[in-house]
Amino acid sequence: MFLRSIRAHDFRNLEGEIQWGQGINVIYGNNGQGKTNWLEAMHLLAHAKSFRTRHLHEAITFGKSAASVSGHVAQGNEIERELQVDIRANTRQTLVNRKREPLAHYAAQLHAVWFTADELEVVRGGPEARRSFIDRGAISLHPSYAQALGSYSKVIKQKKRLLQQAGEGRLKFAEVVELLEPWNQQLVSLSAQIHRSRTEYVNLLNDALEHSLFGDTLSIRYVSSLEGKGDLNNYEELIAQRLQIRMQAEVFAGACLIGPHRDDLSVLFGDRNLRSFGSSGQQRSALITLDLAAISVYHSQHQDYPIFLIDDVDAELDGIRIERLLEYLDGRTQTFVTTSKKNHFERFNQRAHFYEVSAGQAREDIVLRAAIG
Amino acid sequence: MLDYAEPVTKLIDEFKRLPSIGQKSAQRLAFHILRTPAAEVERFIEALREVKQRITECSVCNNLTDVNPCRFCTLPSRDHSLICIVEQPYDLVAVEKTRSYKGLYHVLHGSLSPIRGIRPSDLRLENLLPRLKPENNEGVEMQEVILATNPNTEGEATANYISRLLKPLGLRVTRLAMGMPVGSDLEYVDEVTMDKALTNRHEM
Ligand SMILES: [Zn+2]
Repeated sequence: MFLRSIRAHDFRNLEGEIQWGQGINVIYGNNGQGKTNWLEAMHLLAHAKSFRTRHLHEAITFGKSAASVSGHVAQGNEIERELQVDIRANTRQTLVNRKREPLAHYAAQLHAVWFTADELEVVRGGPEARRSFIDRGAISLHPSYAQALGSYSKVIKQKKRLLQQAGEGRLKFAEVVELLEPWNQQLVSLSAQIHRSRTEYVNLLNDALEHSLFGDTLSIRYVSSLEGKGDLNNYEELIAQRLQIRMQAEVFAGACLIGPHRDDLSVLFGDRNLRSFGSSGQQRSALITLDLAAISVYHSQHQDYPIFLIDDVDAELDGIRIERLLEYLDGRTQTFVTTSKKNHFERFNQRAHFYEVSAGQAREDIVLRAAIG
Repeated sequence: MLDYAEPVTKLIDEFKRLPSIGQKSAQRLAFHILRTPAAEVERFIEALREVKQRITECSVCNNLTDVNPCRFCTLPSRDHSLICIVEQPYDLVAVEKTRSYKGLYHVLHGSLSPIRGIRPSDLRLENLLPRLKPENNEGVEMQEVILATNPNTEGEATANYISRLLKPLGLRVTRLAMGMPVGSDLEYVDEVTMDKALTNRHEM
């Protein structure tokens, strides 16, 4: 897919429209001018979410009541659609060709993979960031997987409330067993679905890891929290059994102790766990490698590349890594990088498009392109 | 000081008690009433009074009705060997609109939700088991119970709970097939989809 243009209105400090180039787009400028805001706008256009905040209304320009981001996305040579996301205090609206489209249909139109400082949580933070990394990829393969995840989290919330009530001593144990059953039964099939989707995606991802790029020997594996408890090939049976055995413990803890919300992704660097042993440079290359694998898996499933957003690239990667990365991406993925050091990209002057951001407005550096020629 | 004269403020406050009515809508409705001829307002008041006086819950199926037992429970053309369990009276209407279901109904008036504090004892289940016996069912042996609770996690839990409850009776218990948009409410499902879901119901 090719994001041809984007327009922002009252979104953070952004205003106006930019025409993007295919290939590599370098967004430069001093700090605080709005470089990252443009990436955030692209991410919003793709997923109707922000990679910075859960509260979208925070992205509305101060003093305004609504923000809007729209853009033209081309798929192949034939199809071009206008996507739009409108944000108000408590609502967001997604539109395709100016007609409202439910999020479930909207989200498949433009897919973004992003590398930001916060995303480093995937390689150095807790399991939640890794689970959400896997889930995003798995959803891009099977959009209906989002439904299973949504139902799962609803069932977990209901069950948790029940366990808390039981813990407060308001229910007899026999009663608790009877009340938990209907929720546990749903957990069995939903968990199996989640386990299956995640395992499948992680296997694809692992096979797609590019080992040559940074000379790293990275490997990943989905680690079920039920590992070592029985036969994972018979997942439904195993989890049903675990839910039975651990029921009393769950009541005692007042929390859901069994299920894929406790699973993790192991990221190994050689034979060592990256999270505990990796240097911060290794962690960064590892995340880039994971992102590239996600892009490659997406491509093999959709015969199309997602867009790739890299924030503050020179703060995150050294010069050699940036060069290798951009060489690799050039000709594959439409890539957007923000930087405060334009001169790091001189080698790409002829192939990349350069945009200077100042006070929220972006302007293509035509002079630079013309000079080169 | 009140923005409006006392009776107007009182009316606005009453409208605001209604679901999904805020201050602005309440004002609009109140001023609409003020402009409406007295006879029309009387008719409205009478309709409100009547619905409260004449509509009760059917003692057999818990559906809302003006005669007790309700028409679904007493019409001779209804098939007494089949019973369809729904969450709300409007779900019953949704099933009925297909015109392809001729059995009986049972309305639960809710679905299980620990978060909303709704337990099995809050559902209208106490009169379900007795009516499945032939002596309480005009001598007819019940053949099948269709669980038509909403296709969301709460409706699923409710269906699950009831199917366990019915297990000892050895009846055929079926669940509506999920031909419909998951996560939605039955009342919003169109007739065609509902008809399909009804035909494709499966064993639990
Ligand atoms: Zn009745």
